[in-house]
Amino acid sequence: MREGQTRRPGEAVFVAFLALASLGLLIKAYGIAGFEALSSPGALPMAAAAVMLVSALVILVQTMQAPVTKDETVREHILPIAVVVAIIAITAYAFLLQPLGFLITSFLFLAVLIRVLSGRSLFFCVWSSALCVLLIYVVFRIIFTVLMPEGIVPEREILAWLGRLFGGAR
Amino acid sequence: MQAVSAFLIPFLDIQLLGLVAAGTFAGIYIGAIPGLSVTMAVSILISFTFAWPVYPALALMIGIFMGGVYGGSRTAILLNIPGAPAAIATGLDGYPMAKKGEAGEAIGITTVMSFFGGCIGIIVLALAAPMVSEFALKFQPRDYMLLAVLGILLVGSLSGESLIKGIFAGAFGILIGTVGLDPLTIADRFTFGFSELRGGISFVAVMIGMFGISEALVQLHDVNKAAVRQQISRIVPSWSTITKYLPLSLRCSGIGVIIGALPGTGGDIAALMAYDHAKRTTKNPEVPFGEGAREGLVAPETANNAAVGGAFIPMMTLGIPGDAVTAIMIGALFIHGLNPGPMLMIDKPDMFWFIVGALTLANVFMLIFGLTGIRFFVKVVETPRSVLIPVIILLSIVGAYAVQSSLVDVYWMLGFGVLGYFMKLYGFQLGPVILGVILSRLLDDNWRRAIISDQESLPMLLKGIVTSPLSLVLFSAVLFILLAPLWRMVKARRAA
Amino acid sequence: MKRTAIAALLGLGIAGSAMAQSYPAKEIQGVIQWGAGGSTDVVMRAVTPHAEAVLGGKVVMQNVTGGVGAIALNRVADGAADGYTLLMGAENPLLYKVMGLGQKDYSDFTPINIIARGIPIIVARPDAPFNTFPEMIAYIKANPRAVKFGSTGPGGLPSVITAMINAKQPIQVTAVPYDGDGPALTALMGGAIDVMPAVLGAAIENIRAGRMKPIAIMDVAPNAALPNVKPIVETNPEFRQYLPWGPFFGVFVKKGTPADIVAKLQAAYNAGAKNADFQKLMDNRGFLMMNIAGKEADDFLAKWQSTTTWLLQDAGVTKASPAQFNIPKP
Repeated sequence: MREGQTRRPGEAVFVAFLALASLGLLIKAYGIAGFEALSSPGALPMAAAAVMLVSALVILVQTMQAPVTKDETVREHILPIAVVVAIIAITAYAFLLQPLGFLITSFLFLAVLIRVLSGRSLFFCVWSSALCVLLIYVVFRIIFTVLMPEGIVPEREILAWLGRLFGGAR
Repeated sequence: MQAVSAFLIPFLDIQLLGLVAAGTFAGIYIGAIPGLSVTMAVSILISFTFAWPVYPALALMIGIFMGGVYGGSRTAILLNIPGAPAAIATGLDGYPMAKKGEAGEAIGITTVMSFFGGCIGIIVLALAAPMVSEFALKFQPRDYMLLAVLGILLVGSLSGESLIKGIFAGAFGILIGTVGLDPLTIADRFTFGFSELRGGISFVAVMIGMFGISEALVQLHDVNKAAVRQQISRIVPSWSTITKYLPLSLRCSGIGVIIGALPGTGGDIAALMAYDHAKRTTKNPEVPFGEGAREGLVAPETANNAAVGGAFIPMMTLGIPGDAVTAIMIGALFIHGLNPGPMLMIDKPDMFWFIVGALTLANVFMLIFGLTGIRFFVKVVETPRSVLIPVIILLSIVGAYAVQSSLVDVYWMLGFGVLGYFMKLYGFQLGPVILGVILSRLLDDNWRRAIISDQESLPMLLKGIVTSPLSLVLFSAVLFILLAPLWRMVKARRAA
Repeated sequence: MKRTAIAALLGLGIAGSAMAQSYPAKEIQGVIQWGAGGSTDVVMRAVTPHAEAVLGGKVVMQNVTGGVGAIALNRVADGAADGYTLLMGAENPLLYKVMGLGQKDYSDFTPINIIARGIPIIVARPDAPFNTFPEMIAYIKANPRAVKFGSTGPGGLPSVITAMINAKQPIQVTAVPYDGDGPALTALMGGAIDVMPAVLGAAIENIRAGRMKPIAIMDVAPNAALPNVKPIVETNPEFRQYLPWGPFFGVFVKKGTPADIVAKLQAAYNAGAKNADFQKLMDNRGFLMMNIAGKEADDFLAKWQSTTTWLLQDAGVTKASPAQFNIPKP
C-alpha cells in the first residue's frame, strides 16, 4: 500500500545500514575461499551476499526517491517508549541471566516489565510473575530437563533434597 | 490378517490407547509453545521410556509427533508467533483471521484439514510405502538442488508488497544458514574468529527472534488496546466448506507426503511449498491471500500433517530418517533391540502395522483435542497485552536457550528480534528470511555435491539435468515459475 | 546450609573424601557431542541408564552439536572439574589440534570409559563393477576420477580410510562430501555415489537386504555379523600396519576431577557397559565392546591419535603437523 509512496522516519538510515552490512558480508564471503572453485565453501555465501548487496542498493534508491511521511515520528511510530523499555529489559535479562540465575532474573524481568507496561498494583505484578516463572520452570526444567543457568540459587541441590524428601524417587 | 491385528493393537489395549492420547495432548501444547519442539520432546522420551517395552514407548512418541506438528498452528493463528517451523505459513492467513475475531473458525479449519492431511499421509504410508521410498531414493544431489531452488522461488509468494525486499530477506536467510563451520570442508564461514560461532546460528533462535520477539515488540505499539473479542460459536467447518477445498487439500497432501518422505526435507518446507501452490492455483479466493484466505490455511496444514506419514516411509522401509523426529525414533528402535533397515518390514511386519495403527489413532485424538479446548487458548490471547507480551518475551528467551543450553543462542535471538522488528516496520516480510535459513543447507550442500560429482563442469551438470527425467521435470518447474510472470507481462503489454 | 557445610569441610582439607561420599549430591549433566539419533547419542542414551542404577544418581543428557563436536568439548572443559559435567564423545577431538579446530583434546580430560569402537567397512552399490578390494583398486586405476567415493569431510572416517588406501595403493577418485555416514549411505543406495567407507553398524542392515555390497572389512579379523566378508589383511596384508583402527565412543570428565569421584564414575560406567542388554545392542549394531578405563584407555587414546594424525598428515589433509603438538610418529 505504501510501497513507493512514502518513506517512514528512519527508513533511509536502516536501508543504508543494510546495504553497508551486505557489502561487509560480501567482502567476508570472498575471504572464505575466493574464486577457488564452483564447489568451494565460499560460493553460496558470496552469491547470497551479492544478491543482498544489489537488492539493498535498489531498495535504497527506491527509498530515497519516496517522499517522507508527514504524520509519523520516530518517537511515536518507530521507537515508542514501551518498545524501548522492552528492549532495555531484554538486554538486561541477557546480561543478568548467567550471574543471577534463571529464577531470579526471570522473576525480576516479568515483574518490572508488567509493572511498567500495565501500571497494575505491585502485588499483582509480583504474584503473577512468580506464578509464570514457576510454571515455566516446571515445564522446562523439571519435565524437559533443560538445565537453565543456576546463578546464586543452588537449584540442583534443592531438587535433590526435594527428591530425597519424597522417598528418594530420583 | 496378521496386518489387521497388528494395526488394531493400539486401539484395543487400554494402556496404549491412553499413551497415544496423552502423547497427542501433550504434543499439541509442546508444538504450540515456541521453543519447545517435538524433536526435543522425543529425544527426552528416549531416556524416559528406556525401560519400557517398545510398543508403549513408540505409542507415546507417535502421539507427540502428530500432536506437535499440528499444535504449532495454534500460536501462529492466535499470536502470529508460529510454535514450530512447520506452522510459519499458517500464520500468514491465520493471524489476519484472528485479528477479525475469526480465530475459532481458523482453528476449526486448521484442525479438520490437519486431520485430513494426516489421513492421506497414513494411507500412503500403509499402501505405497515401498514405492514412494524407491522414488525418494532416486533423488540425486542435483535434484535436491533443483528442489531447493524451487523452494527459494517461493520468495515470490512470501514477499508481500515489495518483491525486492523479499529477495533481500531471502538472500539474508541463506547467508545466515551458511554461518559456522562448513560441514563438508570444515572451513570457517563468517565466524569472525569466535569459536562459539562455529556451530552456526541456531535456526530456532533465528525463528523465535524473528517471529516471537519482533512480533511482541510490534504489538507493544498499542499495548493498551483491548484484545479482539473472538467469536467461538462457529468452530467445526461445514460439510460444504470441506468439500469445496477437497481438491486443493488432496494436492497439498500429495506435496506433503513426497516432501516428507524425502530424506533431508520435512514438514516445514512442505507447508511453505503447499502455501505457494495454493496461492498460484487459486484464481479468485473469497478473501485475498495475506488477509485471511481460507486456502492459505488449508494448504500448509494438510501438507505438514501429511508429511508426518511421509516421514515414516523411508524410516520403515529403509531405516533412513525422513526428518529430524524420525531420526530419533530410529535411535529409539535400536535401543529397544530392533534393527531398523530394509529388513525390518520383512522380519517384523507387525511393527510396521502397529506404527500405522498408532498414527491413525493419534490422528483421531488430534481431531478430538483440536476441536475442544479452544476456549482455553482463546482466553490466553484475550489476556491484557501488558501482561501477555512480557510472558511471551520470557518464553521466547527460554525457548532459544533450551535448544542447546546456550546463552549465545539467546543473544542471537535478541539480535534477530530487534532486526526483525525494524524490518517489519520498514515493509520487509520475515517469511523469506526463515525460508532462506531452512533451505540454505539443502541448496549449498547439494549444489556442491552435484558440481563435484560432475567434475566441476557446468555443461556436464546441465547435461545430467536434461538427460534425467526427474531432474528435467524439476528444472522445467523452475523455469516455468521464473518465466510465467515475464510471459504475463508480455501478454498484458500486447493487450494494451 | 549445605553449601556452607561443604565450604567448611573444604577448609579442613578433607573435602575430597567428603565430596565423594555424598557424590552425586545433585543431577549430573551429560553433554553429548553429536545430534539426537546419531550413533554417539544412541550409545550414550543406551548405556547411561545402566550406569545410573549403579551410581544412584541421575544423569541429564543433552545434545550440544556443532564445530565437529568442539563446542560440546569446550563447554565441558570450561566448566568445573567436580564430576557433575560429563563429556560424551566420539573420536573426533583427537584430531582437533591438527585440523585447526581447537586447542583442546582428550588430553585435557580423564577417560571414564572408552565404551566401544566401530569397525570400518568399505561398501559399494550392488551393481558396481567390482566385488573385492583388489578388483576395486584395479578398476579405479583403470578409470581414474570416475569412481565416486562418499566422504564426510576432512578428518571423518572415510577420509582416514581413504588416506590409508592412498598410502598403500595410490588411487584417484572423486570424493563427494556428505554431512554424516547416514546421508552418504542413502546416496549410495540411490546411486549418487559408488563406494563408501562406513562403520559396519551403519551398513549392516543394508548389506543384509542386498542394497549395498561389502568390499572389505578394514580390520584384522572377520566379523561374526558378516562371516563371509574377508578382512582386508587377507588380500592386502600391507594394511596391518594401521589396523585395528576405528571410531570409538567414550565418556570423559575434565582433568583435575577428584580421584574418588572419577573412580565412582568409572565403576558405574564399567558396570553399565557390562550389562547384557547393552552388549547385545552393541553387537547388533556391529560395534566392538572395549569397556576400558585408566592407563589402558590413556594408551589407547595416545596410539589412536598418533596413528590417525600422522596418516592424515601424510595424506596432506591436516592444517598443522602433529609434530607441532608433540604427537609421536607411530
